[in-house]
Amino acid sequence: MLSDFWLEVIHFFITLIFALIFIPIIPLLGVYLDRKVLGLMQDRLGPTYTGPWGLLQTVVDMIKLLSKEDIRASATDNIIFSLAPVMFLAPIITSFVVLPFSPYMTVNALATGIIYLVALSSLDVIGVFMAGWGSNNKYALMGGLRSAAQMISYELPLVLSLIGVIMLTSVLGKGGVGSIALSDIINVQLHPWWLWLILIQPLGFLIYYTCGLAETNRAPFDLPEAESELVAGYLTEYSGLRWAMFFLGEYTNMVIVSAIATSLFLGGWSGPGADQGFWVGHLGGLLGGIIFNLFAVFWFQAKLWTLIFVFVWIRATLPRLRADQLMRYAWLILMPITLVNILITGFVLLIVPDLMGETMIVAQVPVNVWIAGAVNWVMFFTYILLFDRITGVSVKGKMPRWAKRQATTRKQAQPTPQPAPQPTALAQAQK
Amino acid sequence: MAIDQGNQQDTHLYIEGAEGLRSEEMVLNMGPQHPSTHGVLRLVLTLDGETVVHCTPVIGYLHRGIEKILENRPYMGGIRYMDNSDYLSPMLNETAYVGAVEQLMGLEPPRRAQYIRLMTNEMQRIASHMVAIGTYLLDLGAMTPILYCFRDREGILDLFEALGGSRFNVNYMRIGGVLHDFPPGWLHRLEQWCRTFDQSLKELEDLVTGNEIFEARTQGVGYIDPQQAIAYGLTGPNLRGSGINFDLRVDRPYMAYREVSVNPAVRQEGDAFARFRVRLDECYESLRLIRVAMDTLPGGPISTRTPIALRPPRGETYFAVESSKGEQGIYLISDGSEYPYRAKIRGPSFVNLQILPELLRGHKMGDVVAILGSIDLVLGEVDR
Repeated sequence: MLSDFWLEVIHFFITLIFALIFIPIIPLLGVYLDRKVLGLMQDRLGPTYTGPWGLLQTVVDMIKLLSKEDIRASATDNIIFSLAPVMFLAPIITSFVVLPFSPYMTVNALATGIIYLVALSSLDVIGVFMAGWGSNNKYALMGGLRSAAQMISYELPLVLSLIGVIMLTSVLGKGGVGSIALSDIINVQLHPWWLWLILIQPLGFLIYYTCGLAETNRAPFDLPEAESELVAGYLTEYSGLRWAMFFLGEYTNMVIVSAIATSLFLGGWSGPGADQGFWVGHLGGLLGGIIFNLFAVFWFQAKLWTLIFVFVWIRATLPRLRADQLMRYAWLILMPITLVNILITGFVLLIVPDLMGETMIVAQVPVNVWIAGAVNWVMFFTYILLFDRITGVSVKGKMPRWAKRQATTRKQAQPTPQPAPQPTALAQAQK
Repeated sequence: MAIDQGNQQDTHLYIEGAEGLRSEEMVLNMGPQHPSTHGVLRLVLTLDGETVVHCTPVIGYLHRGIEKILENRPYMGGIRYMDNSDYLSPMLNETAYVGAVEQLMGLEPPRRAQYIRLMTNEMQRIASHMVAIGTYLLDLGAMTPILYCFRDREGILDLFEALGGSRFNVNYMRIGGVLHDFPPGWLHRLEQWCRTFDQSLKELEDLVTGNEIFEARTQGVGYIDPQQAIAYGLTGPNLRGSGINFDLRVDRPYMAYREVSVNPAVRQEGDAFARFRVRLDECYESLRLIRVAMDTLPGGPISTRTPIALRPPRGETYFAVESSKGEQGIYLISDGSEYPYRAKIRGPSFVNLQILPELLRGHKMGDVVAILGSIDLVLGEVDR
């Protein structure tokens, strides 16, 4: 038919149009899902008035935001103030280039997939900084700094938790060569069909998801957006469309975090029915390819929106962490756990073939992967149930046992709430 | 940054060490319009970085001159103004006022009226604690429990509406008894509500108990020493959260509490978490008391007839009830006419508010909301 060049052009444009249409739909669906699910969990209905089942709520919200006056405080740094929403939104939109909606519908499957995405999420912090500074408002600045510190602190465990998965690609992939391209990681999870990497790295998934919550400023890490805390956060001085850009950026960021999670841990676009060989064999090249891609896109979206539902679910359930507890959680709890995860997973993956002398394959999967998976599940439950008790570190601010000895020499011990004595003579005399 | 929580000594060490830096204290106004100050309370905070050094509560934004109004209304007409004092527990306020007048006159309301008062008081206590618990959790960021709490509160308010005509300010208590008896089927609905409330309390416990984030925000925060609590005159859950077992229903029993025994909820820790748990435990206790009162409800008249333009003898008296916030008292001075000479309202929130500057000192900004919510202020009572 057409030459390869034109097929490539058509491929590129179809994928680009899909991605560009998808990006504005995300906030529409995301905000609606947020409000509806939150409402239903809180024993109320959520939006019902605008459109059937309230589906047009976000459209109406956007129209309202577009029609708002662009309030500008007099002494704001104009360039930085105006550029901050752009700097916040641009890296997020650019991240859509590598997301594998289906093997055909990836705009550009870069070989540096994961690093590209992580680098872009680091650029978000600049947008937040600029918003806080450009507002010329000391409370906005404090809020912006706090939010930026939160985002930076949680990026480290986020990236490191993905290393466990990348290590697995070198063991499971073809030729023993690892890869950080998202399409390769999904390919690893296709043979056998049930080998989603979440089964082998559940701890990695949990840590990645928690850090994703913090990166997108979602509850329980939503200190910058909290209305009931005093310092109003970096969004104070923004109104109308500028605020809408931050708002949309947050939901799009959620989708990117969930997309990375589905690609790496939940098998990406794989699922029953997304079998290229089957459809192409039965229906011929073009039609089979189209049906296959439809299935693949469907499964990717299903997993993606399930993870976003969990985002909303967590927001409905958990209260907020205080700023210092948030930082403590990132540095004292998540970082060590992530590093231990990398250490143990790598150790197991390397040492088992040496011990056994050869790579045994059980049920199409090498034995060292099985053992690494078992060890990871043990670590997962240890983290959830026993971490507090073993190390004495928690978000509560009690010092770990190994630090307490130094503390008592430094100052007097913190006054712990003493159990009250029996009602004293004073109270007794009153009776 | 010090690894511990807001410890004032540590912060001063840090500041003294950095000789070259000039650090000023910042005055921050947590204005009367704020989502977390429960009502129109203005807090002028002096901050040193993130630590609160000093706090001045500015009150009076809700002053309506209730006490002055009471001096110009006959006693029966004045009952409804007590509803506005603590607008979250009107029944308890009315009981205090009506009890003060009855005490002055030496009048003993009939037993049935006393039991009805006990039931409505305990229902009102549950309603008030539901607001306290729900809004406290909302301030801390959990946006779902408040809706569950308010859903249960709706059950109570519907019952009040069926009983007295209005959900909130039910002008139900009368001098000598209560307004009228239960409508038919009301007790049955109350029983049904008690059963659903049992389930709701379980749901609430599931959401809150053992929630590490909640415990991290509230444990060790806002510690009130028992000696301090007595010195500042705290009452109610604030006092019982610090280990002092003083409950007016037990230690100075009035009306039907002389016959029905109450087990007050007491916690030893003295921090915000303890006060929260005391409120939640009091809901269980109030539910039990409602059931006891329903079972042992005596028959008989619900009110002794008193003239509308009541003239109590000259004299003065003080009568206090255990309200949901603490000791709600009325000091009544009568000069023999049909208007009170002076009706001074001892609002528990006004007295409890005094400890706030003491409590906030040394804590970080993020704890201000946690401590303020744990004292459970209602500005209607503070300002009157």
